[in-house]
Amino acid sequence: MKKNKRKIYFDYAATTPVDPRVVKVMLPYFSKKFGNTMSLHSFGQEVKEILEESREKVASLIGAKPNEIIFTSSATESNNLALKGIAFANKNRGNHIIISSIEHPCVMESAKWLESQGFEITRLKVDKYGLVNPEDVKKAIKKETILVSIMHANNEIGTIEPIEEIGKIIKSEIRNQNSKIYFHTDAAQTLGKIPVDVNKLGVDLLTGSSHKIYGPKGAACLYIREGTKITPLLHGGGHEMGLRSSTVNVPAIVGFAEALEIAKKEMKKENERLSKLREKLEKGILKKIKNAHLVGHPQKRLPNIANFWFEGVEGESVVIELDLLGIAVSTGSACSSEKLEASHVLLATGLKPHQAHSSLRLSLGRWTKEKDIDYVLKVLPKVIKRLRLISPTFK
Amino acid sequence: MAKKVICALSGGLDSSVAASLLKKAGFDVIGVFMKFWSEPEKNGLVGASNRCCSLEAEIRARKIAKILKIPFYVFDFSKEFKKKIVDYFLKNYQKGITPNPCVVCNKEIKFGLLLKKALALGADFVATGHYAKIKIKNQRSKIKTYHLIRAKDKNKDQSYFLWMLNQEKLKRILFPIGDFTRNEVENLAKKFKLPVLKLKKSVEICFIQTTINDFLKKYLKEKIGKIVNSEGEILGEHRGLWFYTLGQRKGIPLSGGPYYVLDKNLKRNLLIVTKKEKDLYKKELIAKNVNWISGSQPKLPIKIKAKIRYRQNLASATIFKLNFKSYKLKFDKPQRAITPGQSVVFYKGEEVLGGGIIS
Repeated sequence: MKKNKRKIYFDYAATTPVDPRVVKVMLPYFSKKFGNTMSLHSFGQEVKEILEESREKVASLIGAKPNEIIFTSSATESNNLALKGIAFANKNRGNHIIISSIEHPCVMESAKWLESQGFEITRLKVDKYGLVNPEDVKKAIKKETILVSIMHANNEIGTIEPIEEIGKIIKSEIRNQNSKIYFHTDAAQTLGKIPVDVNKLGVDLLTGSSHKIYGPKGAACLYIREGTKITPLLHGGGHEMGLRSSTVNVPAIVGFAEALEIAKKEMKKENERLSKLREKLEKGILKKIKNAHLVGHPQKRLPNIANFWFEGVEGESVVIELDLLGIAVSTGSACSSEKLEASHVLLATGLKPHQAHSSLRLSLGRWTKEKDIDYVLKVLPKVIKRLRLISPTFK
Repeated sequence: MAKKVICALSGGLDSSVAASLLKKAGFDVIGVFMKFWSEPEKNGLVGASNRCCSLEAEIRARKIAKILKIPFYVFDFSKEFKKKIVDYFLKNYQKGITPNPCVVCNKEIKFGLLLKKALALGADFVATGHYAKIKIKNQRSKIKTYHLIRAKDKNKDQSYFLWMLNQEKLKRILFPIGDFTRNEVENLAKKFKLPVLKLKKSVEICFIQTTINDFLKKYLKEKIGKIVNSEGEILGEHRGLWFYTLGQRKGIPLSGGPYYVLDKNLKRNLLIVTKKEKDLYKKELIAKNVNWISGSQPKLPIKIKAKIRYRQNLASATIFKLNFKSYKLKFDKPQRAITPGQSVVFYKGEEVLGGGIIS
């Protein structure tokens, strides 16, 4: 084994380390202030108080009212609640749901399950950058439509969807049809990274995640606009306004709120820094590696995600090679080999399976330094060159 | 620079010791756990009991890698495994023959996909915990030839399952425990301070949780047909030809036995049985899809020893050529229940010359 102690993390879109400032505010809520938010006594009240403070904080950071925020355990749970909760609460009015073809698996699979329960799903195509065309939403809406769910930004390629425009279209369609169509967006990749305001976006439901923004795992939220008809998935003691029974994970939620506050405060400066680093990374890779291609929208894109595909190499091989050299990245090549199961997102942008299998995602974050970019730019071209030498498909 | 080896880790003792031996020998070892297909439960949950690739096994493999301080990765081959092994298995049973899924898994998955991936990662070798040996001979022309040899432990020897290998593959394969008996491997594990595991009794086929018949019933359903004797007299009814294997005695729904399965008529869905066990003995078989490990067919006819199933002693036979990849074996003594679909493997001394599928 080469003694390579250097370890660099380029997978912030997968998850992030918890910011030490966040850890600090969480600590009292493990052993000292440990009560159950539903208890009447002082132990319960002191945590109930911080829970509601956290709710107010999260609400104000996205332009919502506190009673419109439900805390959940994960963005997956929030998305499940949004889709299934709306579908079942509104099935007397219609059974049609519109999503995009590049949603996160938790939306894709929830929709697929709803399909098996008698709902009709329309999956909108995207262009080569991964953008949904708002006109397609308009065309897809019919009188049975009860929900549209389009992600705010894609987790693999970073493309930011025209949520505001889609929101306006849905509003005008509601006026035309005189029937409510709910609009949900999965903002797990955007909350804390770019401005998110529920009213500006024009959404009725919005999913946010903690562990993508230097908060702890095990906390997420679902914004639910007042007056929305939704049914819970978890029944029990009636926590979270009856929409999500479960003893509340106070430390994680406190951490989530703090993480969001820090992220919002530092957003502008951090995005400028990340954009510069990413530009250097992308330019460097495209310059140093021949037959490398960028995926995702050139401008309408999260500042921290860079996705490429390299002709003639398998993404998984690159991931393992880089890992052995101390660099953590990810690939849209979900499987082992063959033509199976390339990332549905990359395929939806028009990449062929073998191209999707040769993809690589580098996502930057709070602790990415310029010297890390330099190291990747030094190592990656060599790895690609070597893998291409032994590749049967690259000449 | 040290040679790079991808070592398959199943979480079991054999592969753990194999990886340890490689590490000790100075190789640059990377541990890989392969996920195969396991039967989904009724409620859609994935069954836990593909014993060699359950979550439990994965956890053990990861622990072993940690103890050995080697990098560890999980390759999910479940889709390919389903397609290439499980579907093959079912298709063969449907055709009324009895396949060896392990033979195909070795060719297609372990020394197919895994080997391909290993080479793509720049590894020099793939290693597994198989009980078998590879001997390298230097020919005069400086060309090396690779020979598949039976393991030291004749009881554990797995060379039978490896007859589909070839020179290209063998030169990239290491079998670190082939020179040890199982007992010695267990002692090595203790010496290397590897966690010693008390495993459940090993099952015949890794992806089947219950019995083969239950599995076949689930996927192939029943197909009622007649049971007849060799004279064509109807004796009773069977539930589907795939539930019966040649030579089988138990489970034939007839009274006044014992009866043995003599043959199957797939076209007419007939199970042909006999009361005379000696009818099951045959002196000849046809082997198809024959592979010669050396890459070329030896001069024929040739006297060899053959195995027509895994747990069977070697039997003397002579091989004759029929036509392309198709050969005839004549045994010195009649063999009981030569079963279509099973592998016949040819041995010369300790060496595996090749093998084929009994037709």
